[in-house]
Formats: sequence, structure tokens, C-alpha cells
Amino acid sequence: MASLFEIKSLTHRYGSVLALDDLSLSVEPGAIGLVGQNGAGKSTLIKILLGLVRHTAGKARVFGADVVKNGVGLRGRIGYMPEREGVVPGLNGIEFVALAGELNGMPRKQALRQAHEILSQLGLEEARYRRLENYSAGMVQRIKLAATLVHDPDLLLLDEPTSGLDPDGRTAMLSLLKSLARRPGKSLVLSTHLLGDIERVCHHAIILEKGAVAASGTLDELLAGQPHAFLLRWKTGADAADHDFLAALQREGAEATPGDELAQARAVVSEQWPTQRFFQLARECGVTLTGLEPEEMDLRTVYRRLVGMESAAPPVIGLANRDESGVAAS
Amino acid sequence: MLGFALLNFLFVFGAIYLLATLKAEQPEIGKMLSVMLPDLAGTGKTFLNFMLAQGTVTMILLAFAGSVLAGNDHLRGGLTFYLSRRISVLHYAGGKLLAIGLLVSLTTTLPALVLFLEQGMLGDTAKYFSENYTIAFGILGYGGLIAVTLGLLLFALVSWMPRPVPLVMSWACLFFFLPVLSEILSRVFDDRQWRLLNLWRDIYAVGSRCFGEAAVRSRDVAQLSEASAVIVAVCLLSFIAIVFRIRQLRHQS
Repeated sequence: MASLFEIKSLTHRYGSVLALDDLSLSVEPGAIGLVGQNGAGKSTLIKILLGLVRHTAGKARVFGADVVKNGVGLRGRIGYMPEREGVVPGLNGIEFVALAGELNGMPRKQALRQAHEILSQLGLEEARYRRLENYSAGMVQRIKLAATLVHDPDLLLLDEPTSGLDPDGRTAMLSLLKSLARRPGKSLVLSTHLLGDIERVCHHAIILEKGAVAASGTLDELLAGQPHAFLLRWKTGADAADHDFLAALQREGAEATPGDELAQARAVVSEQWPTQRFFQLARECGVTLTGLEPEEMDLRTVYRRLVGMESAAPPVIGLANRDESGVAAS
Repeated sequence: MLGFALLNFLFVFGAIYLLATLKAEQPEIGKMLSVMLPDLAGTGKTFLNFMLAQGTVTMILLAFAGSVLAGNDHLRGGLTFYLSRRISVLHYAGGKLLAIGLLVSLTTTLPALVLFLEQGMLGDTAKYFSENYTIAFGILGYGGLIAVTLGLLLFALVSWMPRPVPLVMSWACLFFFLPVLSEILSRVFDDRQWRLLNLWRDIYAVGSRCFGEAAVRSRDVAQLSEASAVIVAVCLLSFIAIVFRIRQLRHQS
């Protein structure tokens, strides 16, 4: 399959700040998530793919075309939703979306017709004649998405599309993005620091860290091959026994870190580690294991491991369930 | 402000018509009035002064309209909206400059051309146009100079100061306080070169040259080349400021 975008040794500097460091990637069409902390280089990469920012070194191609040489032409096939406001005050909703279509080369009548259709699909039909200054944050996000979709682009570049939305708005936006990602022949790059958004919409994720690719692959590929982690709880009468138990785990090759509470630890072990070994070691050290809870493997866990946040993060697991509320990667 | 410009246009339009009618029906009174009102005689000076008045109104108008014309693009991410479409930076900047230029032309060049046509149509048309066709070039030249200089300067200022109040203040500094300062300095140091700080006067001096040598004020003749250099420098600096700002905003957006 022809790649959606291909970048080779891509480097970009803002003065002395290195935003992207020798990035090389080849991504196939589909729903791609771009994740990383603030300053990881997500927005810069998107702007380079869009031809908005000229990279310092390396090569970037989208749909097989060089982004520097064919920037204007490529933008006709791309829809970009910026993170920041990106609206033109003084216009009403329909004028704004139609203008976006016209700027992408659509005839005025067609742009207007398409704008009406898109706004109806996005639930903004009643607000279409209202001036953009009077839109709520959620409506601004939707009108920006409408302006992104009006010319029916082959690729959507969405920079933090759920930013500033309330939980209901975020859920609605994610459902919408999910349905957009399923359209045949269309691709989507979702840049966010919310891992839950990626898990719900994308099948492929690129994890950026300090301007470099920490990992890239389908979600299944990223989750596979990761070491297993368990939360252990035990009953003990002496501090020495706790210490012995942790030391025994370390000795056996488990990466054990004490928990927030007493008699609790998180242990990261290899795939081959037999679970009953925990009980054996506990017995040998004189402690009674009362809990053995496998850590749910999700993108958040993979992310934290890949970007080296294990030591800085609290060792208690169970973060996966917090994701729906929009807990950030950082 | 547009009302003032329209009022001035209608006044001059009516005056030219009245004078032409009087010349045809009451030649004596017409001749006397022509001597009394040399600025309405249909010479290059007539249109030069008309455009100066219209240009002054436009200059004040631009101070207030600047943030609407381009300032919002730099405040609310509008620049990203434009540049992420199938247009280049040149299209965007060119479009904005054209919008400003169009506004300036609609209030200065176009009314002046209408008055020029009126002047010709009301008398001996063929004779007037054959003798004064250079006035049309003068109108276009002076109008173009105002449009380009004010357009670039305004776009540059708006790029860096998109909010209305700082923009009005800087515009006032450039076109009100700086001319006053230049006058004071030229008198204190007894050096006419200080008058070059008055950009509006420089534009007028170079613009008057477009109407022919006779239209240039005697006190401006010696400083025409310096005034041209000041205008070129202002345009160049404005252009550089615009390029830098757009580049910076593209990275920030």
C-alpha cells in the first residue's frame, strides 16, 4: 500500500531549540494518532506535513509529493484543524465554512451548498447564521472541523480537536472523529496528549518524545511484547519481611517498586514469569500475599514506559480507568 | 470618516458643475470665480489638492479600520485559517494589501478620476482631455503612491500591533506627532532636512511630481529625491516587518 506520509531524517529547529530530531517514519493510510507531551514536536510535525513550516533538514512527503515543492497543491487534499482558535471574526458560521471551501478552490455556489450540508451533519444548522464571536468553545471546535471537512479532503490533520471541550462535547467529538476515520479512502492524523482519544479513534499510534519517535505501530503492536506488571498486596508483621520480599523479587529479576501504602508494591516481570513464583517468594520471606492484580495494559502504560516516566510516576497502577475523564499523557 | 470623504467629493463635484454652468451661462461671473477659486480650475493642482484632502480622511480612517482589515488575523488565529488552505503566503499578503489599497483607491483615486471626467465633460471635452491627459496619470500615480505606502505601513503595524488602541496611537505618532516634531526640529536647527520626517508631506511632494513639474511646491523641489528615498525606506522596512511577522506567526500557530 502506498504510504500516507513518509519522512526521512526530518529535523527542525526554532532558533536554538531542536523541535524535531532526525525523524524517520513511513505511515500507511488510516487513523493515526500522534501523541506526546507538550513540546514533543507534534504540532511542528503537523505544520511541516501541511507545508506551513519549512523544515530545517530532511525530507517529508505526503501522498508521495514533497511538502516543500507541492505545499499549496497538497493543502487542497488536506484538511487542517489548528489547536488555537483559527477563526475569522465578523463572519457567521455559514460564511466561514464556505470561505474555507472557496479558499480550497471550490466554486462559490458549491462551497455554500457543501457548507450547509456539513453544518447540518455537525449539528450546527441552527447556529449557522450566528456570528462566530458568539459561539461557545464546543461550537468553535465544531465549526473549525466543518471548515476542515468542507472540501472533502483525503487527509485530516487534527491538532488537539478535543481541547477546551466539556466531557459530553469531548465524547461527541470523538464519536464524530471515529466515524470520519472509517470513511473509505480517507485518513486522519489526530495529534493529542490525551491517550484515551487515540485509543478510541486510531488504529496506529506514533509516540513522540523530545522531537524523536519513541515508538510507532498499530495499537496491538505497541501493546504486544510489553513486560507484565502486577500490583501486589500482602500481610506482614515486620518491616524486615517486607524488605526481604522486595529484595527477593529484585533478585529473581522482577522490577519491584514499593507502593504508596505499606505492604504494597508494583512488580514488572517478563512474559515468561510464572505467577505462582510470587506466592513462593512471599512464603519464603514470611509474608502472606493477599492481592495479585495484573495491571491492565493500555496505551498509557506503554507510553509511560517508553518515555521513561516510570520512575517519576507514582508506582500505584490502575490509571487506565481514569482515561475517560481526559487524563493527559503528561 | 467615509461620510466626510463623500461630503468632500460631493462638494467639489457640485462646485465644478456650478463653475462650469456659470462659465457657460454667465461668462463674466464664471471668469471671476475661476480667478477667485484657482483650485477648481481643473488643473493638476485641483486634483492634487482634492486627493490630499481625501487622503487625509483615508489616513485617519485606516487608523481605525486597520485592526478590522488585518488585525484579527493576527489575534484569533485567522492567519492559520488562510495559510492552511490552497493559497500561499504571497496570495494572503497580496490579498490583504489589495484590500487596503482598494479602500484607499475608492476614497482617493476613483473620486479624483470621476471629477477629472466631470471636468472634461462639462466644457470643450476633446480640447480638455487632449491638453490635460497627463492629469489622469498624475491621479493614478499619486493614488498608487498613497495606496502602496499606506497599505504596506498599515499592514506592517497591524501585524505587530493588531489591537485597535496601540495601532491608533502609533498611527497618530507617525502622522501627527512626527510632523509636529519635524517642524519644530527644522526650525530649531534651521535645517529643512528634518521636514523629511513628515511622511505625509513626503508622499504629497513625490505625488505632486506625478502631476508634472509645475505642480510641485517650490519648497519641495529641492527635497524630492530625499522624500522618495524616505518613502522607499518606509516601504522596504514595512515589507521586512511583514515578512518577519508572518514567518513568526506561522511557527506559533
